[in-house]
Amino acid sequence: MRLWNVVVKNVLRRKTRSLLTASGVAVAIGSVVALLGVSRGYQQTSADLYDNRGIDLVVVRAGVALASALDESYVELLRKLPHVARVNYGLSDNVSFGNDVISIRILGWPPGSSAFETLELREGRGLKDSDAAMDGTGGVLLGSSLAEERLNKKVGDTTEVEGTPFKVVGIFQSTNVLENGSAVLPLLALQTIMQREGQVNEFLITIEKRSPDLDRVTIDELRKQIGALEKDGERLGLVAKTTNEFVNSRAEMQMSRAMSFVISGIALLIGSVGMLNTMIMSVLERTQEIGLLRAIGWRKSRITRMILLEAFVLSVLGCAVGTAAAFGLTLALSQVPVVQGVLQRGITPGVVGAGFLMSMVVGLAGGLYPAYRGASLPPTEALRYE
Amino acid sequence: MSSPGTVTAAEPRTTKSAPAILRAVNLKRTYADGQVTALNDVSLEVHAGEYVAIMGRSGSGKSTLLNLLGALDRPDQGEIYFEGEPLSKQRNLDSFRAKRIGFVFQSFYLLPTLTAVENVQIPMFEGPLNPKQRADRAHELLKIVNLEHRLNHLPMELSVGERQRVAIARALANEPAMLLADEPTGNLDSTNEAEVLNLFDQLHAERNMTLVVITHSQDVADRAQRTIHLRDGRIVSDVTGHAASHSSRK
Repeated sequence: MRLWNVVVKNVLRRKTRSLLTASGVAVAIGSVVALLGVSRGYQQTSADLYDNRGIDLVVVRAGVALASALDESYVELLRKLPHVARVNYGLSDNVSFGNDVISIRILGWPPGSSAFETLELREGRGLKDSDAAMDGTGGVLLGSSLAEERLNKKVGDTTEVEGTPFKVVGIFQSTNVLENGSAVLPLLALQTIMQREGQVNEFLITIEKRSPDLDRVTIDELRKQIGALEKDGERLGLVAKTTNEFVNSRAEMQMSRAMSFVISGIALLIGSVGMLNTMIMSVLERTQEIGLLRAIGWRKSRITRMILLEAFVLSVLGCAVGTAAAFGLTLALSQVPVVQGVLQRGITPGVVGAGFLMSMVVGLAGGLYPAYRGASLPPTEALRYE
Repeated sequence: MSSPGTVTAAEPRTTKSAPAILRAVNLKRTYADGQVTALNDVSLEVHAGEYVAIMGRSGSGKSTLLNLLGALDRPDQGEIYFEGEPLSKQRNLDSFRAKRIGFVFQSFYLLPTLTAVENVQIPMFEGPLNPKQRADRAHELLKIVNLEHRLNHLPMELSVGERQRVAIARALANEPAMLLADEPTGNLDSTNEAEVLNLFDQLHAERNMTLVVITHSQDVADRAQRTIHLRDGRIVSDVTGHAASHSSRK
């Protein structure tokens, strides 16, 4: 017999209580894993939007976490910088479509922009300059899941963007779930709708050839030059970020991370308190047994190990069930039409690892004090305990 | 010794010329910040292979003495020497108890989730045996206490007598130098009591086991070679031979 046998039998002694405790841990870990997974998925999807196009730097207004407003004309200054192969730019926002559906991501790109290269046109045609018309003859491209799952539109149908009618001229497919749930208008049309004439959110820079000799120093130099750009003697106040930096700095990402952090903290607290309660009860009930173990020579460290292992067994059990439930939950959620095109499951090994680590913290936080208390019981007193 | 022994009818299997396995000198133990004196100036010797009964009324200090002799507690004053070594110098009393002392309690204290053979292995965690060797040894010990047919039974599936025999097998797990028993038959009927006492006799006779048994029962004390009586925390008699133990109680 090994210590493990004793531990497992102790855990199984009060099956209902162990099950409830493990369930508490499962709910805590499951919520965290699901939340982190969704958050990570969204982050990854957002980063993919840029990475898939070979974008190296994203230029936005310095010190602005929300969508920044930049003058479209800066593009010419950026194109003149050394090592810059291509500069794309555009406007993006969340708008309402028709009367019911709200908050759909819409992109405004200049027709003919190389940004369209990553979109595979499944039906219809691409955007033309004339599609920017605001009199009902303008055209819009819809992502496949937006067209089919949310709007139920096909090529030739008309849809309203913030009250302005546009004809669906094409339906595209992208490898990115976020893009599949988006629409694309000519930049001019979106600027007009959003009353942001001449403005864009960001400039997307691709560095020439992506050659190996273009080292970090060169990129850093380029970033410095972008930061120092001036027009008419005035600094433009731009900042160039790598795609990861940019995605991580966005307000919604920061909010999502903050929420994950807060909810993880609460879950951790609830899980730990539940575990603490169970383990204290368990140690209290077994006072005489622990006294016997001490009397016959079990060291304090062995008693501590036994009780901590019991807490860890419950934690790992809860973690396994919670993680499985998180997989199921995010799978189910990703099938719900309202979040299609936004939510991509991102339960990576890292997220599972974070959940496991958290369950270990719950086990430790809930088991440490009872273990200390159990191990500290003087055997003579413990044996007398009724 | 606090009082001289008197040899009577029963011839001891081991004489006091055997080396003292345990020597207690001027033990004092108080509780409640010194307000209650449980033991006062108690000195005694137990020789290797000796079978000693400690008797006394409730509150006489029997259990306190057993706790001190078994290194479960430390005295406020005095010293206990085990095989010549002072216990106060022992850095690890847990390890000492695990290897040198076997405990048998009135309430058995078997772990309810473990089978008989598993319960017997519990003290062996502190020894050198691997899991397989532990299991083999537990089998052996349960055979000695005539429970080889109950190896895989949980304590609740055993009779009280069988439970105490499992506890005795457990006490022998690490081949202790001395067995300390605290009211070992207190929860047993007369048939089971006889079985347990026969087992003690057998261990004493065949293995020359040193036994110190705390008891209220005269029948139990009668099996011992020597009876020590405690009253108000002091030894009032220490008599060798069970016939004398009757008279010394008066």
